[in-house]
Amino acid sequence: MAPPPGFHLLLLLLLVLLLPPGPAAGLQALGEAAEMAAGLRAGLPELELELPGLELPELEPPELEPECRRLLAAFAEGSAALSGCLARRARPVRLCQACRGQYRSLLGRYRDIARALGNSSESHNCAKSILTSDRLQIVVTLSEFFNETWETANCANCLKNNSEGLSNSTVEFLDLFNKSLTCFEHNLQGQAVDVSSNNYTDVCKNCNGTYKMLNDLYNNLQKLNRHGSESGHSAHLCIDVEDAMNITRKLWSRTFNCSVPCSDTVPVIAVSSFILFLPVVFYLSSFLHSKQKKRILILPKRIQSNASLVNIQEKYS
Amino acid sequence: MANVAKKVSWSGRDPRDEDEDGPAGESTPLLNGTGPGAPGGSRQFTPSSLLRTGQLSNVDLNEDVRELETELPRPYPNEIPHNEKLLSLKYESLDYDNSENQLFLEEERRINHAAFRTVEIKRWVICAMIGILTGLVACFIDIVVENLAGLKYRVVKDNIDKFTEKGGLSFSLLLWATLNASVVMVGSVIVAFIEPVAAGSGIPQIKCYLNGVKIPHVVRLKTLVIKVCGVILSVVGGLAVGKEGPMIHSGAVIAAGISQGRSTSLKRDFKIFEYFRRDTEKRDFVSAGAAAGVSAAFGAPVGGVLFSLEEGASFWNQFLTWRIFFASMISTFTLNSVLSVYHGNAWDLSSPGLINFGRFDNEKMGYTIQEIPIFIFMGVVGGILGALFNALNYWLTMFRIRYIHRPCLQVIEAMLVAAVTAAVGFVMIYCSRDCQPIQGSTVAYPLQLFCADGEYNSMATAFFNTPEKSVVNLFHDPPGSYNPMTLGMFTLMYFFLACWTYGLTVSAGVFIPSLLIGAAWGRLFGISLSYLTKGSIWADPGKYALMGAAAQLGGIVRMTLSLTVIMMEATGNVTYGFPIMLVLMTAKIVGDYFVEGLYDMHIQLQSVPFLHWEAPVTSHSLTAREVMSTPVTCLRRIERVGTVVDILSDTSSNHNGFPVVESNPDTTQVAGLRGLILRSQLIVLLKHKVFVERANLSLVQRRLKLKDFRDAYPRFPPIQSIHVSQDERECMIDLSEFMNPSPYTVPQEASLPRVFKLFRALGLRHLVVVDNRNEVVGMVTRKDLARYRLGKEGLEELSLAQT
Repeated sequence: MAPPPGFHLLLLLLLVLLLPPGPAAGLQALGEAAEMAAGLRAGLPELELELPGLELPELEPPELEPECRRLLAAFAEGSAALSGCLARRARPVRLCQACRGQYRSLLGRYRDIARALGNSSESHNCAKSILTSDRLQIVVTLSEFFNETWETANCANCLKNNSEGLSNSTVEFLDLFNKSLTCFEHNLQGQAVDVSSNNYTDVCKNCNGTYKMLNDLYNNLQKLNRHGSESGHSAHLCIDVEDAMNITRKLWSRTFNCSVPCSDTVPVIAVSSFILFLPVVFYLSSFLHSKQKKRILILPKRIQSNASLVNIQEKYS
Repeated sequence: MANVAKKVSWSGRDPRDEDEDGPAGESTPLLNGTGPGAPGGSRQFTPSSLLRTGQLSNVDLNEDVRELETELPRPYPNEIPHNEKLLSLKYESLDYDNSENQLFLEEERRINHAAFRTVEIKRWVICAMIGILTGLVACFIDIVVENLAGLKYRVVKDNIDKFTEKGGLSFSLLLWATLNASVVMVGSVIVAFIEPVAAGSGIPQIKCYLNGVKIPHVVRLKTLVIKVCGVILSVVGGLAVGKEGPMIHSGAVIAAGISQGRSTSLKRDFKIFEYFRRDTEKRDFVSAGAAAGVSAAFGAPVGGVLFSLEEGASFWNQFLTWRIFFASMISTFTLNSVLSVYHGNAWDLSSPGLINFGRFDNEKMGYTIQEIPIFIFMGVVGGILGALFNALNYWLTMFRIRYIHRPCLQVIEAMLVAAVTAAVGFVMIYCSRDCQPIQGSTVAYPLQLFCADGEYNSMATAFFNTPEKSVVNLFHDPPGSYNPMTLGMFTLMYFFLACWTYGLTVSAGVFIPSLLIGAAWGRLFGISLSYLTKGSIWADPGKYALMGAAAQLGGIVRMTLSLTVIMMEATGNVTYGFPIMLVLMTAKIVGDYFVEGLYDMHIQLQSVPFLHWEAPVTSHSLTAREVMSTPVTCLRRIERVGTVVDILSDTSSNHNGFPVVESNPDTTQVAGLRGLILRSQLIVLLKHKVFVERANLSLVQRRLKLKDFRDAYPRFPPIQSIHVSQDERECMIDLSEFMNPSPYTVPQEASLPRVFKLFRALGLRHLVVVDNRNEVVGMVTRKDLARYRLGKEGLEELSLAQT
């Protein structure tokens, strides 16, 4: 199957898109998050001022304490940042690396609302008025949604225990991943010059080592993970790693067609037809040679020559 | 018809082969009797009891072997190939009728009210123990199967992965086939050579037992051990079998063993529960055990009770139901808690049965009213496929009985089936190009083979797995996990494999393979439905897989009520009750139109004298006179020991019950019926030498108690092992104290359905036919009634045969 013209270009584009958010990107993201958090804190008063403007100012019931309002605004900002980050990092999936700062800060803000902080009675009021005083409970819903997404993505798996940074194995994996992508890119660039030849033998030959290492590492991670969680429920790795591996594997075996397993159809057919042939021999030989089991009839003896017995015999015939 | 001159007498090998530890009856059919040279009318044991009234010239009762007079004298044994219209002499009845003799009355007087209360408590304790032990056995099977099968699949998977890269996949195929065949060989050898009755699922055997037929060896400890090991080996060996059916047999054996408080195989007597050493009590516990087995297998306690009710209990007792339910609950709870601890989440209690269908949520997998006609149509398909399965299996079983009856041939056959199962699986996986992305850890042993990296072969989820896991995968894998081609090929192949496998000499059940076939075509049906309707009925194919599984299972085994409840409990969704019921009903109606259910078919092929619920409908014109066996061997009330010994040791007539008549008919002219005595009782009497003369000699002689009879139960010694000296032969034996003084009788004119009803409802073993002067005319036993069957052309009569 020949890829359509311009396919290589697309591929390159894809690679370019893929490349930048490497492991380094993760570190960057952490920095970004910190900045953003600082910015938020700085911007808080403004936001607070903005808020009354959205509603009808004069009719606003004096329900929410200013402190509570501040907390709510912080949460709103945090969730906006996080959802923006999640959406931006959706493809290729880089959620755990890129958005963990936002996620953490959002968690903190939610905790601020929910938990006693300083003046206990006041913040208790905050929790009550923000979280549980209406039917919709949008703050709770939002925070649940983010938590669930985080759990489903299984991000905890590739972060350090305190979720400060990426775990060592993940860093190692992403390193290798970057290496193999670079390798693909190099070899493709060489090939893109002569578009006529559609085979990727160079890629397959040159990047085989890296790819194998990456694959093995991934399998190892998976195995470790499965051992770690005995119950077998959360045997997923974190979505970033999974997705990175998926993309690479797809490139490798679908696009480059590098993994060509040797198919030995002839011996398989021979062996299986031999096995399938055995029962035929067995049944035939037992039919021909085994003595058929005979039953010795014992004729029942009872009073006979009765009308109803004739009846039976009539029915027989 | 006193055509006594042309008497042909056949002798049977002693069919009471549970009294000896010899090989089972199948292998040694002896023919001691001869042709016309046999002395006609020669039964002269009871000269004084000869009834000179009309056609009865001598008296010859039998239970199993009949003296036959033929209208056409047959000089040679009439040998025919095995067929379905036979009744085997191998099987005897159980004694459910309580013999209310004087000993019994004495014991009842002696035991006070409080003692009967402890008996009642003991019953509950036994039921609890049955539940616990059944649950533990189920756990043991489950854990061992899981580990061994896991080991096997890992080895094969590693091998396949290795050879996929380098080439030489034929070696993987050979490895897989050899592993399967060798594991199955061990499983088959122990069944074929040590305990043949452990073969198959055991449900037909338990059904027969509860019907009142004593199947030799069926509730022995040895059978249990072989059954458990056999099941493990055949599931690990990759056959198309399940471990659920045999659980029912295992539960029954456990129940029979515990309730007796001893094991004759181990020669240990714990001296407890002696009160329960009777067929009647044992039968009640066996039905509890069967229920506990179902409950452990499917996590369906109510289903288990109903199973016992529907399939087993011919004689049901209201108080029993609650006790059986108790045993079932205990069983599933034991399994659940032990497996939870094993899986590391104790107190979670998430595995109530050996197979869990998994959760069927209402939201995702609910059904609408419009779908009900579709489900009914699936029931029709299930009925037809089930009938096809049974018909194919019928021919195969017939062939097996006729030609593959030597144990070594049976072992070879099982090995071949195992190898072919592996080969078919391998070829299917090899040829399949259906690759699916790995999603989490739902697939236990993902085989990549020729798929791209990160994908697995979806045929392998179905073939390269234990059948239980495959069923659950078919129910719950998200839509799009299988392509239709895969499912179609899988259904086709597995149908034939399962059909071929059932009836092999391995212990294995048919529940799971049926569910698997049904789930595969049901899922296919669901997929094609949403494809045909262009997605307007978008539904989870898992729902259709469940209905297909129910339809297929119903079409094969034809159970109704209990199966509905079992499926309902296994899915944990009551709203599925209605469609499942409809599906099972349709499947049964459609299937019954073609052939009968698999279990009934196998019971028939085994020539078991099985009594159905009712006599054939068109049999009212038959009377007891035509049904009964005659003449009858009677004993006098005070009989000479020599005569008794001669009658008992006469190999040609292995009778088990003897009417007792008045000793001295000359004085009153009528030798009326006085009672009924069983062979087992006579043997105990002879063993303890309870003779009239000895009683006179030593007044201090210990009186025989009911306990002496119970101690001998259930393996009464054969008559050959009892030595009676010449002097003793001249002694007299007084039976009046030991016989049942009020046996059930019917007049000669009673119709067959009437006799049948009496016999069936009371669980009788012997029913004496008397004339209007209370003289014994004939005897109706189980085989006399089971002979009549409603066939295709009306009423048929089965022949008796030596097997």
